[in-house]
Amino acid sequence: MFNLIRNELMKIFKRPGTYVMIGILVLITSIAAGFIKYQQLDNISGNAKWEQRLKEETASAKQQMAMSKSKPEKDYLKRQIAINEYRLEHRIAPEEKYSTWEFVSDASQIISLAGLFVIIISAGIVASEFNWGTIKLLLIRPIKRSKILLAKYSSILLFGLFLLSILFIYSTALGAVLFGVPDKTAPYLNYYDGKVTEQNMVIHLIKYYGMNSIGMLMLSTMAFMISSVFRNSSLAIGLSVFLMFTGGQITNLIAMKFSWAKYILFANTDLMQYFEGSPLINGMSLSFSVIVLTIYFLVFQFLAFYIFNKRDVAA
Amino acid sequence: MEAIVELKNVTKVIKNRKIIDDISFRVNRGEVFGFLGPNGAGKTTTIRMIVGLMRITSGDILIGGTSIKTDFEKAVSHIGAIVENPEMYKFMSGYDNLVHYARMSKGITIEKINETVELVGLTDRIHDKVKTYSLGMRQRLGLAQCLLHDPKVLILDEPTNGLDPAGIREIRDYLRQLAREKNMAVIVSSHLLSEMEMMCDRIGIIQNGKLIDVQSVHDFVQGTETVFEFEVQPADEAILLINTSYPEAASKRSRNGISASLEKEDIPTVVQMMVEAGIQVYGIKEVPKTLEDRFLEVTSEKGETAHV
Repeated sequence: MFNLIRNELMKIFKRPGTYVMIGILVLITSIAAGFIKYQQLDNISGNAKWEQRLKEETASAKQQMAMSKSKPEKDYLKRQIAINEYRLEHRIAPEEKYSTWEFVSDASQIISLAGLFVIIISAGIVASEFNWGTIKLLLIRPIKRSKILLAKYSSILLFGLFLLSILFIYSTALGAVLFGVPDKTAPYLNYYDGKVTEQNMVIHLIKYYGMNSIGMLMLSTMAFMISSVFRNSSLAIGLSVFLMFTGGQITNLIAMKFSWAKYILFANTDLMQYFEGSPLINGMSLSFSVIVLTIYFLVFQFLAFYIFNKRDVAA
Repeated sequence: MEAIVELKNVTKVIKNRKIIDDISFRVNRGEVFGFLGPNGAGKTTTIRMIVGLMRITSGDILIGGTSIKTDFEKAVSHIGAIVENPEMYKFMSGYDNLVHYARMSKGITIEKINETVELVGLTDRIHDKVKTYSLGMRQRLGLAQCLLHDPKVLILDEPTNGLDPAGIREIRDYLRQLAREKNMAVIVSSHLLSEMEMMCDRIGIIQNGKLIDVQSVHDFVQGTETVFEFEVQPADEAILLINTSYPEAASKRSRNGISASLEKEDIPTVVQMMVEAGIQVYGIKEVPKTLEDRFLEVTSEKGETAHV
């Protein structure tokens, strides 16, 4: 099994495309860092009057909320007001200086780009073998097909983990160089269900990374399934990426009208909603989402393995 | 002789169509078995079933006594194969490709890989990317790939496809050598009859998914009767003469005169008759039957009987 995974990783890392992906990831992170640094130079406003500023902000937010009609906007404002009030009450100033942790937090948006790359790799990992014709030589080895497929799936997970580590480590390092590491890390203020709590920033970031990876994991598993069932990497990439960008919005639209939207994959991929903010649909809970995700995961895996094992290789 | 590959009443049905219909044969150690048939007859399908790429609808295939259906891993470990073209990972070097396959079988050392590379004569180019290889070099790499684990059975689908005459000869000699020295069973498929004639010990002919004949190449080419060609003048009279004395000879005009199926012993008598009848005889020769003639003969015969 170890050897099989080594083989798959060799096939991933012997292709120039993989290095282009890593390059883009690093480049985008660097650009984001440069941009933020540049903005910061323009905007060195004193932090001394933060209490006054927050008060003003809160007042205007309250006004806005009274006029606002859409639920997401209201939720957002509510959260902002609650956090501001908490700050005033406990005398926690907004971070005086933009530090590496803020940057890591901002850069974590790039996870979706890493997700995109993992989807591309997993969409190709089975389909390419069929395209190249190498599947014939691969499947006449004294190894069960399910083992080969399992090795391929494990390699995707490892590759995903690899990209995430690059992103995390690189953004931390770059942030430390450009923005510095604060002596005392300000706590992260979490808002959930009307209450504000303090959290350690690093723990928050790791949790944030983990939760964000779930969507990436589900979509790459889906791409993997499509790749293995239809032997077509373009279809797998196209469909997965399309759903990655539109799945959330479509689910939101459906959720406004129908409560069955809670069974849609994309209503459940964002587990962060149970720790921060509010669930998409009332009545959803963390355990509900975990069960739904598990079912989707098992269905994807079952289809991938069942069809791959049964298939006559005629390509 | 010990049978290493055994097909038992193998049938393959795809979408209610019988692609392979009840095929049974054995291949022994140390022999080169040719699998011959027109395009679309079912050669590749049969080979794919032997190596486990396709499922068997009914019947069974045993490799070294192990069923490919029930114990795939053990059965297939005896096999080295190239199915159709040897497709490799083009973005990797030949060596990396071999390492890749070596990791998938048990107990293949670096020395073994190097030795195999040497054997197929790729030592100079093995660290270059496969995309820079010529077709002949890819064939060799394909061969190296299937010899890595010292298989007892070598299966090659159209092994000489796209090779130049020197390459074809090389592969041919090499396969014969493997069968002889390593006591391997070699199964090759082809539609090139002349190739098979030179390469194989036995031949199985497949047509429309049915195995219509298995014979040794020697018997197959010889057949029962021989055709003689007479260079004579005038031809029509000679045909009449032969056909009245030997009705089975079915004498007719051929390219250089007339042809007739006769026993060798009858030739002097026929010649004497011709001379007496005033027919001028310029030459007589035996027309050796090629595998091609036999093949067309057999396939059309069986084809006709199948229709009746």
